[in-house]
Amino acid sequence: MIQFQNVHKWFKTLHVLNDVNLHVKQGEVVVVCGPSGSGKSTLIRTINKLEPINEGHLTVDGMDLLSKKTDLNRLRAEVGFVFQQFNLYPHLSVLSNITLAPTKIRKTPKKEAEEQAMQLLERVGLAMKRDAYPTQLSGGQQQRVAIARALAMKPRIMLFDEPTSALDPEMIGEVLQVMQDLAKTGMTMVVVTHEMGFAREVADRVVFMDHGVILEEAQPEEFFLNPQHDRAKQFLKQLLSPMH
Amino acid sequence: MLKYHFDWSIITSGKYFEWLVSGLKITLELSAVGIVGAFVLGLVIAVLKMSNFKPLRWLASVYLEFFRNTPLLIQIFFWYFGSYKILPTAVNEWLNNTNFEFAAAAIALIIYTSAFIAEDIRSGILSIPKEQMEAARSAGFSFLRSMQYIILPQAVRITIPPLVNQFLNLAKNSSLAMTIGVMELTYQARQVESYSFKGFEAFTAATVVYLALSVSITFLMDLYNKKVLNPQRS
Ligand SMILES: Nc1ncnc2c1ncn2[C@@H]1O[C@H](COP(=O)(O)OP(=O)(O)OP(=O)(O)O)[C@@H](O)[C@H]1O
Ligand SMILES: [Mg+2]
Repeated sequence: MIQFQNVHKWFKTLHVLNDVNLHVKQGEVVVVCGPSGSGKSTLIRTINKLEPINEGHLTVDGMDLLSKKTDLNRLRAEVGFVFQQFNLYPHLSVLSNITLAPTKIRKTPKKEAEEQAMQLLERVGLAMKRDAYPTQLSGGQQQRVAIARALAMKPRIMLFDEPTSALDPEMIGEVLQVMQDLAKTGMTMVVVTHEMGFAREVADRVVFMDHGVILEEAQPEEFFLNPQHDRAKQFLKQLLSPMH
Repeated sequence: MLKYHFDWSIITSGKYFEWLVSGLKITLELSAVGIVGAFVLGLVIAVLKMSNFKPLRWLASVYLEFFRNTPLLIQIFFWYFGSYKILPTAVNEWLNNTNFEFAAAAIALIIYTSAFIAEDIRSGILSIPKEQMEAARSAGFSFLRSMQYIILPQAVRITIPPLVNQFLNLAKNSSLAMTIGVMELTYQARQVESYSFKGFEAFTAATVVYLALSVSITFLMDLYNKKVLNPQRS
């Protein structure tokens, strides 16, 4: 579904992705973790070409991201992206946030799009908020709407960049629950997160990055119980220490 | 001692009243056409200025600098006296069959004001967090569609106060159209003055009407902002 082959990326002289190889199969849930600045966001943003790569090969759902012939907007319509800061459209109601792309891009009739939006809102437990505006919602609610908005395009892949990092602790659970439910439906997901509980329960694989390099790639149990690399051990220790 | 004999009745009824009303009608038409045209053109120029294609950005910059920095009166004269020399014959014929003075004044007002409006909208666009564009692009919207559905609606909302200013300027500037013979309000006030020698009454009436027009524009924009653009805040 997603295949990185010897991918490199630089920001000026900074080597942010260094020979990345990664294969995400259909229906797989892959969690990406690593210290701040290690290139996690950059990695996930290359998948829908929010960031272009400089070297190597990257194919997503059969589309070659380096080929000039690939229709970027079509690719992006197939790939849902959930941001750390939600990024809902503040001038639109919850319902319109969800129906905008389906009606304008997929040309779904308005009534049908609204019915689907309501189903998605039920699914994330926010049907009663259909007419609210983003500023009237809590962070956790905004993020659940953002997930519903991405799902409304019926994407084949969902990407999450630290979806719970901006949330108050008591709201993290509700968002992770929605993501866990989504994983159960067989959605292909790449999730940047430090929520190790989620990784343990939901992920098929955990990828550990440092300085633009994928240092470790393992099943969750294996990664948590028996990390190979010193940097990974150190990272886990810091993450699990009560001081954190 | 002031010996002037005030006579308001001549401008509140009869021939002179009709002149002033017909002038007001043209002022309203010119302002309406001007505001709509300048707003639309301003949006287009603002988006061109934000394009990631360099020649388009450059073109927009030249447009902005040129039309903001030359006097409106010269621009009106240019379109009225000079344009037929550079425009294709077909366009000229069409213009001659329409109301040419009105068209020249409207074009000048639209282009001149659009340059200011474009700058205001552009600063509005720049104040929208770049994550909004990212969210739109991630959903599969093209650059232009992202602008249309996500960025511009937000940018215009925060640009309302300076936009109102530009609309007021345009309405007031429309009085310059009298210089090329558009029979708008100021023109008619001059007519009344030269026929009746009641200059004080005629220009007081015109002043009051311009004031009423400005207040109406401000009021309507305020209403639009509250009821249509920001229903969630009211
Ligand atoms: N647009 C950019 N221009 C230049 N440098 C950038 C840009 N975006 C990110 N970087 C740099 O690239 C490196 C990797 O950034 P990235 O955001 O991918 O890290 P991250 O692993 O997501 O970190 P965090 O956990 O803090 O979100 C960092 O050093 C960052 O400063
Ligand atoms: Mg990041």
